[in-house]
Amino acid sequence: MGTSTSQLSKEDVSEYQELTFLTKQEILLAHKRFVELHEDKKNPPDTRHFRLTMDKIVKLPELQCNPFRDRICHVFSTSEQKDGSLTFEDFLDLLSAFSDSATLEIKSHYAFRIFDFDGDGTLGCADLEKLVNCLTGETDDTRLTSEEMRQLINNILEESDIDKDGTVNLSEFQHVISRSPDFVSSFKIVL
Amino acid sequence: MYDHNEANGYSDDQQLLRLRRASSRGTNQNYPQFSWSSSPTDEDEEDSSGLRRDLKTIPMPMALKRAVRQVQQMQVPVVSSIDSWKRKRTKFLHRLRDDGREILSFFTLWNRPLQKIGGNFGGGVQSYFLFLRFLVVLNFVSFLLIAGFVLTPSIIFRSVGSILVNSTGLENCTNYDPNPQGLVVFYTYFLDILSGTGFMEYSYLFYGYYNNTVVENSNFSYNIPLAYLFTVVFYFAFCLICIIARMGTAARVAVATGGNAVGNYSMIVFNSWDYGCQGEQATKLKQKNIHYRLQVDLEEQRINKQAAALTPKQKIVLLSLRVFMWLVAFGLIITAFFCIFLATNFSQQRSGEGGILGLVFEYLPSMVITTGNFVVPLLCDQIALIERYAPSTTVIVALLRAVFLRLVSLGVLLFSLWRQITCEGHTKSGDCELCQYNYKVYPCWETRVGQEMYKLTLFDLLINIAVLVLVEFPRRMVVDNWSSKLAQMVGRQEFVVPSNVLGLVYGQTVVWTGTLFCPLLPLMNAIKFVILFYCRKITLFYNCRPALKTFRSTTSAFFFLVVLLFGWGLATVVMIYSLAEIRPSMACGPFRFFSNMWTVVPTSFYSLSELSQEFLFFIGSQAFSIPLFVLSCVVMCYFIALASVYGKNVALLRAQLKLEGRDKQFLVKQIAELGRQLQMTKPNNGLLQSPAERFYLQLTLAC
Repeated sequence: MGTSTSQLSKEDVSEYQELTFLTKQEILLAHKRFVELHEDKKNPPDTRHFRLTMDKIVKLPELQCNPFRDRICHVFSTSEQKDGSLTFEDFLDLLSAFSDSATLEIKSHYAFRIFDFDGDGTLGCADLEKLVNCLTGETDDTRLTSEEMRQLINNILEESDIDKDGTVNLSEFQHVISRSPDFVSSFKIVL
Repeated sequence: MYDHNEANGYSDDQQLLRLRRASSRGTNQNYPQFSWSSSPTDEDEEDSSGLRRDLKTIPMPMALKRAVRQVQQMQVPVVSSIDSWKRKRTKFLHRLRDDGREILSFFTLWNRPLQKIGGNFGGGVQSYFLFLRFLVVLNFVSFLLIAGFVLTPSIIFRSVGSILVNSTGLENCTNYDPNPQGLVVFYTYFLDILSGTGFMEYSYLFYGYYNNTVVENSNFSYNIPLAYLFTVVFYFAFCLICIIARMGTAARVAVATGGNAVGNYSMIVFNSWDYGCQGEQATKLKQKNIHYRLQVDLEEQRINKQAAALTPKQKIVLLSLRVFMWLVAFGLIITAFFCIFLATNFSQQRSGEGGILGLVFEYLPSMVITTGNFVVPLLCDQIALIERYAPSTTVIVALLRAVFLRLVSLGVLLFSLWRQITCEGHTKSGDCELCQYNYKVYPCWETRVGQEMYKLTLFDLLINIAVLVLVEFPRRMVVDNWSSKLAQMVGRQEFVVPSNVLGLVYGQTVVWTGTLFCPLLPLMNAIKFVILFYCRKITLFYNCRPALKTFRSTTSAFFFLVVLLFGWGLATVVMIYSLAEIRPSMACGPFRFFSNMWTVVPTSFYSLSELSQEFLFFIGSQAFSIPLFVLSCVVMCYFIALASVYGKNVALLRAQLKLEGRDKQFLVKQIAELGRQLQMTKPNNGLLQSPAERFYLQLTLAC
């Protein structure tokens, strides 16, 4: 791990350009920021194997205050311990899904996974409640009252749960998202 | 078994029914976690025909995408050369398109500031600034149009001079000398800039300076009056097309989905988080916005439920209250109109005076209009609160009243000008008898109208800057540094989007009305809006606290454009009336010897060649226009039918989805039954042996 350089080779960059939605400048910038987050000048990280822990990644200013930062790290992490640590390639996958040119399908797919807090493949009442709390803020004066929450979750399920199984699955979620022209522009993180 | 729609990129994850998935799940520790990664070899089967899927659109981690790519690359020798050429071409086009998009975003005006505004203050405020940017670009392009076809030829052919017509008995009508006489005090220049008189009057800025030159060389001819007319008419048509094109994007979503929104709540919850939002403050702000929005919507739902449950007696009381309030609002607006009317008349009567007092009289209509536009919407807001509409209806009702007020106050000003110019419509009597317009007061009435519009525009800009410097900055300094109850109650200023948008619509309507008489007004307006952008941006970031009530950005953008169309309609009426009914001044301008401005078109029509004349006659005749009308009706019916069919399709597919869900539940029950039966007949050692049983278990767990 110590022998590989911290510079990206040309083949790597063109491969990443082909496999993600990022442009060359964005990939190089992402590499630079990834190395900066590592904060250890003596041991430059190897792009394929080295993992940045989640607490370092959420120090990125773009993610620092995002209420979904933990979920984002978990969704894009390929680590076996499920600790939300990201390799550089995971990081590029993250930026690709959040980039300007990513398609609606990719964005809605990952948005669904981010909102699926318990990871069971559908958005149940517990997921929706956690989602709404993330959106409105976790402090007591910004939370909705439990009655408002109940009314809201009922409304959401009534509107989007088409097969009436009590949860919102991926296709129902994408059906809702496809009606909104704002989604692609708001589901964006640009370094 | 059923399969999800192949066209969506996510269907691969749902291939629960493929036995291969059982083997791809390495460790069983994922149970009951849902695994999103499908086996790479699954991709083979779909891509064996046709172009391979774009790797970027596969929602898998990088390592798996790389594996897919390797597999695809190994397939290359099997592919024919035509396919590989097609693939290369598509790749090249995609790269070209991406590069083009990058370059275009570099040139788009104010991209970064708008992103910053959207992140910190939300979509509603950002939609105001997007609207402002649209108007700046529209005005600038219009100016280029006018400069190319009217201004530049006028400058070039200035020396050619104007055509004179022998008109005995009408010498009085052709008396026009706008140049200042004698010794001029220095501060008159300043006053002249503000009011468009003096040295500014006889310049390219106003209609009066243009000549009715018709250049006819052997190989080149240019008819300036005709060019002037056509440019103005085309400018109006061009603005209409731009506005409608812009409305199209937002309207398309509403129409294609059959007109009813999915429902606010799902949209808000799934859609409203802006991931570009950075910083503690902005995040808290966004969270507060969402919280408020949800609360407001939930409350509105409760109120609507309550309203539906009102007794008839209560309904009658509410209805009569609302009728009364509408009458009050109407009365307020009428009062405002009357004041504007009086002010305009007074200003016209005292228009000859000089000095500061003369300036005050000149600007009196603008001042009264601005005061009215400030006071009446405030009162309308209060009235709307009394009427107890649902919150979103309240905003729209107040907005509509304010729009009505602003645009028709402009109409009142124009009406009183018209009365003065045409001697109250009696063009054959009194002062207007000689020239069909009031030549004594208005030797060049078009320039006068142009000057009024110029003054309105300039005054609007000056007021905005003055309010910024004298009201908004001091207010913030007082609120921040002086901690008394009064200061806290007043609080920092809020950026209210609707009234700001009305200001923009009003300014643009004034420009449209005035362009016929003041051709450089679009350029002035473009500059004014650029200055306004920076003023508003500064005030937003330094002086404002964020509005608690946000607008939904797409619906609000559509609404702004609808209101802009009202303004366009008013300006078009004015333009058509000026072209067709009022006699142009004989002392100035490119139409000086026509009986009305439109007659230049028939006159020059007869100088065209025979063939063109016949062709144009044919187009105007009934033999052509009636079939064209019928054809456009047919095309419109086709599109309406198509739209309704799509709407019905959407409803049908939704019903099908419901049915499929029920099918799925039925099948799951069947599978559970079968699984139970199998388990009962096999020895239970905790591990299922055959692939079929593993398959059944996965199916049950995954559904």
